[in-house]
Amino acid sequence: MKSTLLGRAALAFLIGQFIPPVSLQANEILPPGQRPRPLGAHALVGARVVVKPGAVLEGATIIIRNGRIQAVLPKGQAGIPADARAWEMKGKTIYAGFIDPYLSLGEDKAKPISNKWTVPIDARAGVSFTGVPTTKTDMGRKGPGYEIAGVRPEHRVATEFSPPAKEVAALRALGFTAANVIPTEGIYRGTGTLALFGEGNPNKLILRPDTMQHLAFSTTGKRAEGYPNSLMGVIAVIRQTVFDAQHYYAIQAWHKAHPTDARPEYNPALEALRPVLAKNLKQQIIIEPGSVLMLNRAQVLAAELGFDPILVATGQEWRRPKLTKQIKTPFIVPVVFPAIPELPEEDDWNQVSLDQLRAWDWAPEIPALLQRDHAIALTTHGLSDRKAFRKNIARAIERGLTEQQALAALTTEPARFMGVEKQIGTIEKGKLANLTVVDGDSWFDPENKIDSVWIEGRHFANDNPKPEKSDNDREDAQDEKKKAEPKPGPRIAKSPDAFRGPLLTPKNVIIQNATIWTCGPEGVITNGSIRIANGRIVEVGRKLSPPESFDGIIIGAKGMHVTPGLIDCHSHSMILGGVNEGTLPSTAMVRIGDVVNSETGNIYSQLAGGLTTANLLHGSANPIGGQNQVIKLRHGAPPDGLKFAKAPPGIKFALGENVKQSNWGDDKTTRFPQTRMGVKTFFNNRFTAARQYLADQLREDVAPMRRNLELEAIGEIINGKRLIHCHSYRQDEMLIFMRTMERFGVKIGTLQHVLEGYKIADEIAAHGAGASTFSDWWAYKFEVYDAIPYAGSLMHARGAVVSFNSDSSDLARRMNLEAAKAVKYGGTSEEDALKFVTINPAKQLQIDQWVGSLEVGKDADFVLWSGHPLSTQTICEQTWIEGKQYYDRPKAPARAKALAAERDALLAKARKIGGKENAGVAARSAFFLRALEKAHALNNCYECRKVKP
Amino acid sequence: MNKLIPILFAAATLQAQPQEQPQTVLYKAAAIHTADKGTIRNGQMLVTDGIIQAVGQNIRATRQTKIVDLGELHLYPGLIAATTSLGLTEINAVRATQDTTEVGEFTPDVEAWVSVNPDSELIPVARANGFTHALVAPMGGSITGASGLIKLAGWGVEDMTVKTHAALHLWWPVMSLNTRPKQTLRDPDKYKSPKEQTRTRDKNIKAIDEFFNEAEAYARARKAGGADFKKVPAWEGMLSALSGKQPIMVHANEVRQIKTAVAWAKRRKLKIVLAASRDAWQVADLLAKEKVPVIFDNVFTLPQRDTDPHDIHFRAAGILHKAGVKIAHSEPMGSWGASRVRNIVYAAGKSMAYGLPRETALRSLTLHPAQMLGVADRLGSLTPKKEATFIAVNGDIFDIRANVKHMWIAGKKISLQSRHTRLYEKYKNRPKPIK
Repeated sequence: MKSTLLGRAALAFLIGQFIPPVSLQANEILPPGQRPRPLGAHALVGARVVVKPGAVLEGATIIIRNGRIQAVLPKGQAGIPADARAWEMKGKTIYAGFIDPYLSLGEDKAKPISNKWTVPIDARAGVSFTGVPTTKTDMGRKGPGYEIAGVRPEHRVATEFSPPAKEVAALRALGFTAANVIPTEGIYRGTGTLALFGEGNPNKLILRPDTMQHLAFSTTGKRAEGYPNSLMGVIAVIRQTVFDAQHYYAIQAWHKAHPTDARPEYNPALEALRPVLAKNLKQQIIIEPGSVLMLNRAQVLAAELGFDPILVATGQEWRRPKLTKQIKTPFIVPVVFPAIPELPEEDDWNQVSLDQLRAWDWAPEIPALLQRDHAIALTTHGLSDRKAFRKNIARAIERGLTEQQALAALTTEPARFMGVEKQIGTIEKGKLANLTVVDGDSWFDPENKIDSVWIEGRHFANDNPKPEKSDNDREDAQDEKKKAEPKPGPRIAKSPDAFRGPLLTPKNVIIQNATIWTCGPEGVITNGSIRIANGRIVEVGRKLSPPESFDGIIIGAKGMHVTPGLIDCHSHSMILGGVNEGTLPSTAMVRIGDVVNSETGNIYSQLAGGLTTANLLHGSANPIGGQNQVIKLRHGAPPDGLKFAKAPPGIKFALGENVKQSNWGDDKTTRFPQTRMGVKTFFNNRFTAARQYLADQLREDVAPMRRNLELEAIGEIINGKRLIHCHSYRQDEMLIFMRTMERFGVKIGTLQHVLEGYKIADEIAAHGAGASTFSDWWAYKFEVYDAIPYAGSLMHARGAVVSFNSDSSDLARRMNLEAAKAVKYGGTSEEDALKFVTINPAKQLQIDQWVGSLEVGKDADFVLWSGHPLSTQTICEQTWIEGKQYYDRPKAPARAKALAAERDALLAKARKIGGKENAGVAARSAFFLRALEKAHALNNCYECRKVKP
Repeated sequence: MNKLIPILFAAATLQAQPQEQPQTVLYKAAAIHTADKGTIRNGQMLVTDGIIQAVGQNIRATRQTKIVDLGELHLYPGLIAATTSLGLTEINAVRATQDTTEVGEFTPDVEAWVSVNPDSELIPVARANGFTHALVAPMGGSITGASGLIKLAGWGVEDMTVKTHAALHLWWPVMSLNTRPKQTLRDPDKYKSPKEQTRTRDKNIKAIDEFFNEAEAYARARKAGGADFKKVPAWEGMLSALSGKQPIMVHANEVRQIKTAVAWAKRRKLKIVLAASRDAWQVADLLAKEKVPVIFDNVFTLPQRDTDPHDIHFRAAGILHKAGVKIAHSEPMGSWGASRVRNIVYAAGKSMAYGLPRETALRSLTLHPAQMLGVADRLGSLTPKKEATFIAVNGDIFDIRANVKHMWIAGKKISLQSRHTRLYEKYKNRPKPIK
């Protein structure tokens, strides 16, 4: 440090004469041969001292003694102790040492879980029908603990803390003096530790050994091959762990009272959660949910489970600013901003999507956006090259964060979050002498060199350590020479909200002169009218009674046809983070309702085909899959706003090749069941267990019961409170499944696909299960070799309630034409065929009292068609849900144009600075990372594998 | 459409006719959709020995002429599926039933039609919705071999093959970048930067070009003859494509693949047909200018970019046609597509709803593929001198509610029974179970 050395020499010469000889009393005397410790008293003279955010003393002096701040002297005030070593700090600015609230160190550095690499979800459709990739069931960890490897709350960073010196030096070089060092693996990850960035004995570096418990919505990691491997599975695990912990505490208490009764096990994992769950201890929990929709889920979950959370932001909050605003927790905010990639050829830019450009343009604004409504602390987490930290903070400041806010987010806020605000975070008397010293008047100008940091009174000069691990590979080596970096300028990216939400929300609507397919007792009304008030149908008929006064819109629909909004009884189009929790044979505890994806373009494209309601189902990888979620396509609403609240809950079951893993690869032979015999055995087993679970709940003379989310869900089926939607193909398996369920007094909600259902149509009708089938898919597996397109008509003719479903994000755009296939194959009447995609799926989902037909009192969910709804020449003109217009064909071109124009403008902006930024490969390729909401599990997608190129 | 008057039709009699004698039949129908000369209402078609003699309204019949009145039915040429794996696959998930895909980058001597399983259950299912012919093409590496046009009825491969070596198939190398970020790779050392990928991409395209250079050298050497010349089956497989006798079918979806392939073919003066063609609508004018016909199998593909209009693939065929591109519809290659050939009609129907004229929509399933595959002298329209290969439909072929009622290939009545109709009949007649 040239300036410091010069300063020291000057000081020694100038003021050395009137400073008395230094007292050694503060210093421990080390044995000979060891380097003696430096002095314990220092005076940092004449600096610009930022005491705390917003409080600046020009030309002040900081007195440090024995690692603590003894005094801060304003300019001109005497009081420098005679024994203090003086440091000339003129022209420098001193801040309280920076604190990183979310730091992971070392080889196994935690990657942010926020972004996934996958193809865009909107480009593909559907899920697998030929099987899904499987996982090991081995939970893989030795010693006592929770049965799921990812649940390791007992892990303590403090016990293993030994920071890699180089990495810590690099962090000091940025101005950091302390951090909450986080555990990096699993779901419940353990407790972090707040440590100083000094050197030497780790015992002395740890300021607060156990700061908080850490939770991540993470399926990745070394041991992620077993349960859970989906986002909804992770959430189920988070819940079940808490119930297990509560049971563990209860059973311990019980055992104290009943020492001769069953002995409780020892479980260090559940023990470790006690401070998080016990009301009087209340350890906070840091949650990294990984996506903007999951931020909301995390808050809901925290309320449900009694957590006191701090959330880790994702950088994607721009997608749902309102939803983010509603979250009432502090945020830890990474400052990872993608850089514009270098693409060799002009045509390569075609691959850059609007969504990626928006994410790039919005990214620097996220800290300011979060600051508006939340307490925030900034972190280097997720930066592949931490050197970018200052530059990125500067960009965040350009985009609305104030320096004062940023400083608070680096000092006082993280100190407060971590409960060490009495020790560090400001330059005040009595606090630890943790200081960040920078040349010039601000740390926030990245050009100003960081002079040094002080940690507990010890001076660490910034000796320009080598970058810890640069991601600049040879391709970018020439960029090392500093180029003038062009500034991107203000944001031009729009909010997705500009392109979604209802287009019209009139109080009243009248549709006149249309052909109305009521799908109810009124049949088809030619030249008919419908009146809608407050989202409900109030009148349907040839002539409407004249309204007294009318405040709304009138649609003249001459030549047009009106049908109920179409209903898809089998969809996977709006699911976040995996359609299958395909690990265990029963995953009744996972819930699609936890992971509804409101951000996918599928909502708009399916609305444009007249779809208004979809049954979002778990995949078919296991006999007992997850709980389903019925939604309405209220484009623009957040996940909970899409839910069809009154729809009765259900669950996905599956039979046949998928659940016995026939097409999963030759090595998948160890999970029970591997045969159809086993499938039946399995159901009998789980239903018997659930029945016992229900019976045990009624007993009062036993030890406290463990709440078991899997058996609870199956118990709800037995109690008639949850509908089974069972993926099924062959007649024998369906027949035996019906008989098995009948033995448990259960009536099946729907048989899904039900491809050989036509062979046992009478039995299905007698049982009362709905039949929800494909119109004409066949031959993709052995068990669909006998699938015939006449199945729908045949089952209908024998009295079963039949629907046609999509199971594909493409087909869901044209369900009316699927219905036409019932006319073609087997001669179902046109009226009845249309019911296959309207009232019949409504009946199957038991939502027919609200939707599925155009009848008085029902929700005003309807579609205006250019012509006969079963004709290939007909186009969906308008789609309405609950009296609100969500799709209007004439408005579609302007929307597409506006989106394209926005992309063009963003691309021009990006290309202006593309290649000129000083960014490494990681930051550049991070541009292509996608938010989970826009990602799509490739190996779950049939369509993705359909075409060769 | 579905409420048509039952027709009187002596199918049994027709089938019982001895085939040796010359036979002349006059078919009368509500409409004859010729595919080349428009629609003739109350039309008549005179057929002798499986060849169309005349199409019109008042055709004179002799006393020997058998008259078949098809009543309200509409006649269309037999439909042609332009790219399929039909006959090469049975059940997608059962590997033993797959003969669709061979190993190796350059296998021009592979011939797809030789492995068609004449008794594949998928063939009658395609037939039941009006398909009389299908191009069966090989999959695999870059140059995968030759396709053959088969008729979808017959006693064996030889009987069914209408044209061998109908096209040589070239699967254009992927040109889009793999943008997967380095930090997401399990093995970051395997990361290839965009620049490196560009080099690989160029190398792949050069490899194809060089393969054609070598094939041309072979052709010259073959012509020159000489004692040292030895026949090489793989190079032999290239000859018809080089001489222009056989079109090269380029399978490509990305716009840059299409642009590059078109420029490449122009430079080499090769005749190409574009298949798959997802992004072709973006370069409609180029394709029209270079007279590259397009087989489009992406009507039901979701939009590729988040700025594409949601209905762009419904409109694509119309855009191409308007620009002057000859267009055919198909399903994607492979097992899945093979089981869905019957639905190609509705892809064309969808294109029609979104701007493709009806006549062109019909041609996209008949005349256009026939022209692309070089069989338009025999197939593809109801025109005198062509084969009497046609179907009778109780309504509009593009309407899902309509059904194909009869099929003739070269004047011979063909069954529309299939695994599906057999199972339908069987279980329709299942007695109610006794309780």
